[in-house]
Amino acid sequence: MDSSLHQVWQAAAGSPFLPAVGKESQFIIAFVLLTLSLAITGVFALNRSLVSVIALGVPASLAIAFGTVYMFCAVGVYV
Amino acid sequence: MKSLSFVAALLGLLAGPCSALSVVCLPAEFKPPPVFKNTNLVHVVSVEKSFAREQINVLVENVSGEPQDEYFLPFTAEQIARLGGIEAKDRKDDKVGPFGVDLVEYSSQSDVQYYRITLPAPLKAGAQQTLAISWYYLKPYRPLPASIGQDEQQFLIYDFSLYAASAYPTLKQKTEVKLSTVTIPDYTKYTNSEGKEFPEKHGSKLLYGPFDEQPAGAVYPAQIRFEFTKPVIHVSELERDIEVSHWGGNVAFEERYTLYHRGANLSTLFNRVKWAQSQYYNPATSALKELKFPLQIGSVDPYFTDAIGNVSTSRFRSSKREAMLELKPRYPVFGGWKYPFTIGWNTNAANVLRNTASGGHVLKVPFIEGPKQVEGVEYGDVTVRVLLPEGSENVKFYTDLPNSSIVETSVGIHKTYLDTTGRTAIVIKAKNLVDDFRFRDLIISYDTPLAGTLQKPLVIFGSMLAVYAAAWAVGKVEVGFSSK
Repeated sequence: MDSSLHQVWQAAAGSPFLPAVGKESQFIIAFVLLTLSLAITGVFALNRSLVSVIALGVPASLAIAFGTVYMFCAVGVYV
Repeated sequence: MKSLSFVAALLGLLAGPCSALSVVCLPAEFKPPPVFKNTNLVHVVSVEKSFAREQINVLVENVSGEPQDEYFLPFTAEQIARLGGIEAKDRKDDKVGPFGVDLVEYSSQSDVQYYRITLPAPLKAGAQQTLAISWYYLKPYRPLPASIGQDEQQFLIYDFSLYAASAYPTLKQKTEVKLSTVTIPDYTKYTNSEGKEFPEKHGSKLLYGPFDEQPAGAVYPAQIRFEFTKPVIHVSELERDIEVSHWGGNVAFEERYTLYHRGANLSTLFNRVKWAQSQYYNPATSALKELKFPLQIGSVDPYFTDAIGNVSTSRFRSSKREAMLELKPRYPVFGGWKYPFTIGWNTNAANVLRNTASGGHVLKVPFIEGPKQVEGVEYGDVTVRVLLPEGSENVKFYTDLPNSSIVETSVGIHKTYLDTTGRTAIVIKAKNLVDDFRFRDLIISYDTPLAGTLQKPLVIFGSMLAVYAAAWAVGKVEVGFSSK
């Protein structure tokens, strides 16, 4: 138990926590990222090569990664 | 002083292990030293709610030859089990914070147990200090009659002592009993040495005393029977989860209640028609038919479920000034009945979470919120679990609750959606709380490194990249017959 935390809370009065993406934008961002990843996956499926794994797989994986996290939040499961 | 405490603690260990946080162990033959006398004492017994509150305002005088800083307050073992929220402060100086209050563990065989109140500065020989000590008793009443009709008045009995329990002699004292009603059919009468009969009745108050000098440990058993046609709400267990999401910018709350009505049982079977008819003229009833939860402003997305599923009889009034969640249980809860239910809601993280200058975060939430009822609510066991984002470290926490109410604290790991290593979970267990402690703060500071923040997307990124690589690798495998 640390009673100095009251002062820590007061000292941080001017800086509320704001997420990188607000609640109202989470669904649209998640939807766009997941749609984009689906499209890139389609292109990758047409030309499966080692170069494609890097050139398409990496951006698609990134889009799925952030899209999944934001889609979880958008549907109410705040991870 | 410290070394003495250490020796005392060592001896106490021989008597039995200390189990709770705010406990001091003393030798088995311990007796409070007779170093104080109570010059003047006012004992206030408040039975206005589902729980009983007792307070003593006492002017203590150090009658020993040396400075003293430990004042002991006796209770029976049965009272200790039902006692909660004990706090002591200086009656005349609000700036002096709450004094240290610790349960003394010395002999489990003894019926008299003590709380030790540590004064902030030792009281000099012959000096006086005014203490205000308050505490609550849970499960304090028994209904008489034990069973009533569903439209009848409910009466409760409360047993107490006219003399405030004290480990020191008391020169002068009086006792005031506060009730929420003027209907008091039975109460103990007392005649003093001058032949004057007590109590004096002033509306819903009973005044006993002043009494003559009483020795240490003096008791005068008393009983009061009063009308209480309201629910006697006892939450035997409350589990409160608070889940912090940095990605979602959200703090989610969920509370699971196991609620009992400890009033008089129904003498006949519940009559639904009679109940529905009575709702048109809304008479006073001992049944619990509504719970009001004033949530923090900015709360959204409330839900209310029970063992069957969603309960649709709820309203949520949300505006810039309030966030009131009004619940009607699936059935009116009469004496002896139980109603377990769950509620939950969200709030924007910005309302309760701030960034610190050192790059960390600080969260401030109420330890309990719970319903705000005229008749009051008491809580037996309360478990608050705060789930911080995955990878959070350097956790510190503090609560305004009386130390004596905290039973256990721990920091562990909890795994849920999209977690790999698990979220940092702070679990704080408290016991014997009442709704007077609503909105006592729980403040938690923590750091979440960038690696912890990015853990979830990185795990999904790695998994998906593996899938693409596997798709390429599988495509390289020749499964057809060679043309050569």
